Amino acid sequence: MIEVENLSKRFGKTQAVAGLSFRVEPGTITGFLGPNGAGKSTTLRSILGLVHPDAGRAVVLGVPYRRLDRPLHRVGAVLEASEVHPGRTGRNHLRVLATAAGLPRSRVDEVLTLVELMAGGERRVKGYSLGMRQRLGLAAAMLGDPEVLVLDEPANGLDPAGIRWLRDLLRALAAQGRTILVSSHVLAEVAQTVDRVVIIHRGRLIQQASIAEVLAGAQGATRVRSPEAARLRELVAAEGVEVNDADGALLVDLPPERVGEIAAQHGVVLHELTVERATLEEVFLELTGGETTE
Amino acid sequence: MIDFVRAELMKIRTTRGWYVYLGLIVLLVGLGVSGDIGTADDPTRSSAEYQRGVVEGAGFALLLALILAITVVTTEFRHGTITPTLLTTPRREIVVFAKAIAAILVSIGFALLAFLTLAVVGSIWLAAVGADNQLADPEVLRAAEELLLAAPIWALAGIAVGVLVQSQVAALVGTLIWIFLAETIIVAILELLDVGGLADYLPFQALDAADGTNPDLLPYGTAVGVSLAWAFVLGAAGTERLRRRDIT
Repeated sequence: MIEVENLSKRFGKTQAVAGLSFRVEPGTITGFLGPNGAGKSTTLRSILGLVHPDAGRAVVLGVPYRRLDRPLHRVGAVLEASEVHPGRTGRNHLRVLATAAGLPRSRVDEVLTLVELMAGGERRVKGYSLGMRQRLGLAAAMLGDPEVLVLDEPANGLDPAGIRWLRDLLRALAAQGRTILVSSHVLAEVAQTVDRVVIIHRGRLIQQASIAEVLAGAQGATRVRSPEAARLRELVAAEGVEVNDADGALLVDLPPERVGEIAAQHGVVLHELTVERATLEEVFLELTGGETTE
Repeated sequence: MIDFVRAELMKIRTTRGWYVYLGLIVLLVGLGVSGDIGTADDPTRSSAEYQRGVVEGAGFALLLALILAITVVTTEFRHGTITPTLLTTPRREIVVFAKAIAAILVSIGFALLAFLTLAVVGSIWLAAVGADNQLADPEVLRAAEELLLAAPIWALAGIAVGVLVQSQVAALVGTLIWIFLAETIIVAILELLDVGGLADYLPFQALDAADGTNPDLLPYGTAVGVSLAWAFVLGAAGTERLRRRDIT
């Protein structure tokens, strides 16, 4: 559906994308993740024929984007929310695109309704909030009722209610069998929505997997609380594993069964014994080397 | 192709700038003709030759067509709308082509609006001062025809400059500096070097002669050809630049 093969792109001194390869399977929602500056936008713009790669290729629906006949009918894209003439009304912006794509004018009202922007359609875009601009971008992407959607950080500028709305919309669109590639620098934003993730860092692929696989790869720890914390610490440390303090409890790098056994053998009273899963964000930070660029 | 041209025309009409252009043409051409006829001497202003000169005041519409054509391209880069435009029409040479057709159509509209303003305001003035109305004289109409035919050339020149420079401020300021300063200096230098004849082939000198208002420069037909050649060369270079550009 979308195939990126050995894609490389350099801007001046910055190697934005370095030999990146991944596939987006039909009918899936794929999260395209990485810290800011990881090369996500450059990759998406290469897929859409806006950026010329130095090496490698990106194809969508089997061909380079530029070879698509009537591309708006096949692929919808939301890139930066600011790419609208501020003096034009939202409805006129969509009418221009619909006209160029040979779509009927009625389609403009349909997509404005879809993104719940009917009330703002007659206003000039310069008066729009960032959230309204994101909705307008989504409306533009949906004009041609495309089977593939490419969204670059669509949650940027949305308030929590907006993010929830976006999540529901993307789920509904995916349920219709569309293929969606959605980028984000915040894993939690898309974790509940996507089937698969492609994680990149510094222009290179870090992981391509299902969300479940990413979580399984995360190391869990056992959280244990005891009135005899010091003694318990000695006992588990004797197993040769790492023990950390956490808010009056211990985080032990052993399965809970083993921690329970040790406690029972030595008659140590336990007040809590739970599995502490690494959060998605921790996994993400671990995978991308713990660096943040914010 | 028709759809792309219609979309380009819609882009032009859906911003406030459009009404500024139309208003400026009516206002400035109207004021120009009023100033012209109102201040001229009595026997002179009844002559067709004089009224031909009045009609040439519509040349202002050509300058506006040039500026509009430049911004038809550069506004896409200024506001980032080049991204949705290229997503809709990924073949960039087709975008340039559609913009050129749209700009040509608008430039003809500008010229016609200028003539309409001239005819209405001019006729009222001529009647008011009791002069003969020679605006339908063949000589006057031929001036109008040459101006009308020049409009698309100015529009093409604007598209060429816009697509070559791409930055809105640089294209507009650069064009005005070129027209009102740089070319004058080059003309002077060429004359100093005793090759003043070459100066007529400079882009704006040729463009100036291509509307038939400047008999000191190239002959009309040659001027049209040289202007078109400039527009195509600059436009082709600009289109190639656009094709290679990364839209980030």
